[in-house]
Amino acid sequence: MQQLLNTSLVGLTLGFVYAAFALALVLVWRSTRVVNFAQAPMAMVTTFVALVVIEGGASWWLGLAAALASGLVLGAVLERAVVRPVQGGSQINAVILTLGLFIVLHALAAVVFGNRYRSFPAPFGIRGLEVGDRTVALTPTGVFTIVAVLVVMALLVALFRFTDLGLRMRAAAFNREVARLLGVRVGRMLTLGWALASLVGSLAGVLIASGSLVHPGFMDSVVVFGFVAAVLGGLDSPVGSVVGGLVLGLSLSFVSGYVGSQLVPLAALLILVLVLLVRPGGLFSTTTARQV
Amino acid sequence: MTPRTGTPVPHRGPATLAGLLATALLLAGCGAGGREDDGEDGGGASDTGVTADTITIGAHFPLTGVAAPGYSEIPTGAQAYFDYVNANGGVHGRQIEYLVKDDGYNPTNTSKVTNELVLQDEIFAMVGGLGTPTHSAVVDFLNGEGVPDLFVSSGSLMWGDDVAARPMTFGWQPDYEIEGKIIGQYVAENQPGARVGLFLQDDDFGEDAEQGVRRYLDDQIVEVQRYTSGSTDVGPQIAALQSAGVDLVLSFNTPSYTALSQLVALKLGYDPAWFYSNVGSDPGLVGALLSQISEGAVQGGTNALDGVLTTEYIPGVDAPDDPWVQLWQKVWDEHGEKGELTNYRVYGMSHAYAFVQALQEAGEDLTREGLVEALESDSQDLVGPQLAPFRFSADSHMGISGMRVVELQGGVGEPLTPILVSDIGDAEITEDTSGQAEDAPPESGIPD
Repeated sequence: MQQLLNTSLVGLTLGFVYAAFALALVLVWRSTRVVNFAQAPMAMVTTFVALVVIEGGASWWLGLAAALASGLVLGAVLERAVVRPVQGGSQINAVILTLGLFIVLHALAAVVFGNRYRSFPAPFGIRGLEVGDRTVALTPTGVFTIVAVLVVMALLVALFRFTDLGLRMRAAAFNREVARLLGVRVGRMLTLGWALASLVGSLAGVLIASGSLVHPGFMDSVVVFGFVAAVLGGLDSPVGSVVGGLVLGLSLSFVSGYVGSQLVPLAALLILVLVLLVRPGGLFSTTTARQV
Repeated sequence: MTPRTGTPVPHRGPATLAGLLATALLLAGCGAGGREDDGEDGGGASDTGVTADTITIGAHFPLTGVAAPGYSEIPTGAQAYFDYVNANGGVHGRQIEYLVKDDGYNPTNTSKVTNELVLQDEIFAMVGGLGTPTHSAVVDFLNGEGVPDLFVSSGSLMWGDDVAARPMTFGWQPDYEIEGKIIGQYVAENQPGARVGLFLQDDDFGEDAEQGVRRYLDDQIVEVQRYTSGSTDVGPQIAALQSAGVDLVLSFNTPSYTALSQLVALKLGYDPAWFYSNVGSDPGLVGALLSQISEGAVQGGTNALDGVLTTEYIPGVDAPDDPWVQLWQKVWDEHGEKGELTNYRVYGMSHAYAFVQALQEAGEDLTREGLVEALESDSQDLVGPQLAPFRFSADSHMGISGMRVVELQGGVGEPLTPILVSDIGDAEITEDTSGQAEDAPPESGIPD
């Protein structure tokens, strides 16, 4: 019973982390129609920026602020300088480019920040909360993670559903020509989309790192599971990606605890295949497949 | 959707491929030819990699990547000791040239850098190559090429239990099976009531150790959990140990996972007794990882592992009065890079010492066969920093034969047992009578 509870709680916290990452992917997809493989190393770089700030003596919160700010800038700069020149051609160009960015950022981070495990402080306690006379596997830092991800999800839903800006971003991503004819400044919207996605990614990076160890590859497993979570949710829906993240986090935690940790990646693949067989568009897809 | 404006793909595929294949074959041919010539030079008293005044040796270590913390310091220690020996005239008048290549703990890279070392740099011997998965990838190649493969930095049984299959390979540190046996016996005798759980790395390391532990402790083990190296989430594994009511965890893991398991235990409010095997128990490294995470909430520094049991087979920096450690300190002060002397550097110096000793034993007319023979026949004379003697013979290339159980307090290991020695299989565990634990290095700091 205790194991069931603790395994669930571990999975829940982990699921929210996957969800945060999936949210960033959804954001970039909705606002530019590009699947950004470089999301993980971008977040890794900004997490290291936060670590440098914190190691310099600043508080965790200043570190977070530095990570978010550098994420915003990094996203905008990469969109303008790297992704923009290949846009207009086939969509696959931008996707392949993000794969290239993945490798470049990884290598750069190893050179600049060093290629070893470093510890990353946590904003709140890392001891489990006590319920009655029993400690449960949920730390104050974990609670903060969950709240932060829920808030970000709500903000994203609000942005895309209720604001003019969100509508323009979606329009720019969906059909550039028509949007431009209707007076949307498409270029600006794309830059903004990347910047915001990178910001959410940075948040995810810092949340994952807090109270654990970081090295240039620490986001690599998260990128895979984050993608699976986003695809489970349908790539288009913020709520879907959070649900996808939770489904994945819980299932993988159970597989790891009750079956064997070596089967975790296989289980993720299995879940993905099963969901896509039943609902090819993802759990929360609303758009029907378009004919080409 | 973007319309397809299609440029026709030129039908050149097969031709290009054939061209590439032909080029590759030609290149391979060139390589093989070169190798034959090199081999023929190697006859006589001086072998490949040996000249009148130099001996070239090589090693592969993870200088970058997840396994780099700690392990990347080992070659800096070995290098400092070789520099010390070279500054004092070398071995039989020969200077030791030590080439270290980074494999990032990735077996594919290990194969690549080992090829470079053997075929291009023409090393005389591989000394201290690190890692079970990594070194497994090159052990057959080294034996096939007849390159002495000494003192592998790993406790797998593979380096010494089958001399016929791997005649050139020698282990160095105590293997994980005897470590498991000694730990198992200690727990069975001293904590017969404990509910024991195993936390194992899911590879040879964990398997060999479990085999050893189970020889003494089979009926006390109530839960076994394995983690996959690379995944930083060990929450479900530790939760399973907790719910099985385990009150003594025997952990066979790398240092990063010691830190992770301690963190998860905090999270779960789980407070069993911990027994980390030698590999994962460096208090300096683990303490540094742990202290920062909690911003002081976890007691940092070397105190992080207070009360934890572990094992010891060479004296480390926690014993500054040990004559061996004093030698290492002197060597490090004179020839080391920047940074403190650490247990990993001591490890590097200790196996470098054993290598210099083997060279001395092999004599002035240095050959690869001569070196292997010297190790097999004179292993009892190889007295060094190790607390227990080597087990080298014509039938076994297993390394150091034993260790003692210690409890960590303030980063210092307090001995709980005398030096216990054993061998693989059902060999008994006995107290060591060689007196190696009490010896001191020769005045010069260089083996005679």
